Amino acid sequence: MFYVALRIILYDKVRSLITLLGVVFAVSLIFNQVGIFLGLMETSSVIIDHTPGDIWVTAKNNKNFDYSLPFPEYFYNHTISDPDIQSADKLIVAWGVIRQLEGGNEQLEIIGFNTDTGVGGPWEMMEGSPRDLKNGNFAIVDESAMKRLGRIQVGDYRDVLSRRVKIVGISRGVKSFTTAPIMFTSYELAQHLVSYVGSQSTVFIVAKVKPGVRPETVAERLGKRLKGVDVYTASDFSMKTRMYWAIETGVGFSFMLTIVISFLVGMLIVGQTIYNSTMEHIKEFGTLKALGASNMDIYKIIFSQAMINAMTGYIVSLIITIASVKIYELGAMVMVVEWWINLMVLGLTLVMCMAAAFVSVRRIKSIDPAILFRG
Amino acid sequence: MPDPVVTKELTKVYKEGKIEVTALKSTNLILEKGVVVGLFGPSGSGKTTLLSMLGCILRPTSGSLNIFGNEVCGLAEEDLPRIRREFISFIFQGFNLFPALTAYENVILGLKMKGIVGEDADKRACYMLSEVGLKERMHFLPRDVSGGQRQRIAVARALAADSPIILADEPTGNLDQSNGRKVMELLKHMAASQRRCIVVATHDNRIMDLIDRVLYMEDGSIRQEKRS
Repeated sequence: MFYVALRIILYDKVRSLITLLGVVFAVSLIFNQVGIFLGLMETSSVIIDHTPGDIWVTAKNNKNFDYSLPFPEYFYNHTISDPDIQSADKLIVAWGVIRQLEGGNEQLEIIGFNTDTGVGGPWEMMEGSPRDLKNGNFAIVDESAMKRLGRIQVGDYRDVLSRRVKIVGISRGVKSFTTAPIMFTSYELAQHLVSYVGSQSTVFIVAKVKPGVRPETVAERLGKRLKGVDVYTASDFSMKTRMYWAIETGVGFSFMLTIVISFLVGMLIVGQTIYNSTMEHIKEFGTLKALGASNMDIYKIIFSQAMINAMTGYIVSLIITIASVKIYELGAMVMVVEWWINLMVLGLTLVMCMAAAFVSVRRIKSIDPAILFRG
Repeated sequence: MPDPVVTKELTKVYKEGKIEVTALKSTNLILEKGVVVGLFGPSGSGKTTLLSMLGCILRPTSGSLNIFGNEVCGLAEEDLPRIRREFISFIFQGFNLFPALTAYENVILGLKMKGIVGEDADKRACYMLSEVGLKERMHFLPRDVSGGQRQRIAVARALAADSPIILADEPTGNLDQSNGRKVMELLKHMAASQRRCIVVATHDNRIMDLIDRVLYMEDGSIRQEKRS
């Protein structure tokens, strides 16, 4: 039956091409939407995920990484004094303004970290080193910032808030969900640059637990003990940040809606073409029934058609998607393509095409024998 | 061995809203092996309805239909394919061939529906296509052969499976006189040599001499019967 389905598809070339384009369009859209959404989610928590820390202490009711309020620095001492904490670092994440060379300002996210430990700092350098930030008005910008800030080279000077800072390094792979450029400085410089943080406050405390200790246990204990702040494990804070951007901003809903619409569009296209094909071959299918075929025999042909459409469309879409990852990178965007996404989209594609074939199957059930006798 | 087809008071009534139309009235019939039966009569006389019911693709409203000793009126819908598979093949006026499949593949698919596959199916398909004069064109698509040749493919598909009952609806309707006659001669030969029961619904009086038993239908009833 699979062979018959394949022959029908190869015979109806124009119709098959239209079906294929429909499936490719829908599946590529699903791939892109899922990939970009996950890319955005990954971007939103990329710094948390790359920071070597098990516990994050944040201001009370903090919702995400990017928009965090300062809290008193003395919580650092409370944190480090816990018997299961091995080390802890303070981290400032705040908003500032950078002056463009050609005039005008651009908002940027400033990350001030401990340059001795590197916790919270860049993890991949194209030029320079995080240690170059010590003892001066020095900064590292990420290469992704150049889209917004223009070409920046090591040795350039830029005005950030009230100070002129020298660029001493270029990092790679640090992006923000907000798309704002990211600049790394030493913790001390960040305290001076961002007046609303102040010298007695910090924005995050990132702590490592001792080997063999469960971060969840320590986070729970610290959370109970430290009043006025929230304590999360790194994975919980990463998820909280992702959920904030996905749910509270409506971004997730918007992506989900596009995925559902793509699914429905694909189903309609495949359904319509398979239905038309079934109707065109209704006499032949009826003849098979007359020859002794059961409904199931004919369903097999129709479902095989749907499966061939699904698999062909999926493979073409996957190739397009893999090729477009590079294109997205050129636009400073991240599209995630991983085996489990591929598997999930394959499942969706099969469901889409099989569901579309059901309309035709219903038609086969009720073939009027009279049509067989019409010349 | 029971007769291929025995009907008792076979009736079909179509309901269109509140209106009832009797397409076949209390028909009693015994069809024997080795005989070509011709159903003649004007359009709407009940020929196609009778043929559809004999082929178990249309259920009677009342009466009894017995195919080789199997009472089919009481059978469930899912049991009917077995009866069709074992005993019945069709030839349609419109050929009803799969346009995407070659002549050979169309016959093979028909055989597959009858549960005949592999080498046996291959041998039967090649033999029957040769018998109908399409040996050279067995790998042609239906669109690449003439109307007469398409009908011969359909005949080959119907005959290849050795079904003891062949039901043919206007098998010469789309053919010229010469091709129509060839098809009927082949059917008559099969009926005689292989003891098959062949029922032909037709308007074509030119083939009357190749029919063993003529049933003339009118208003859903068999009005006249003539044996040659």
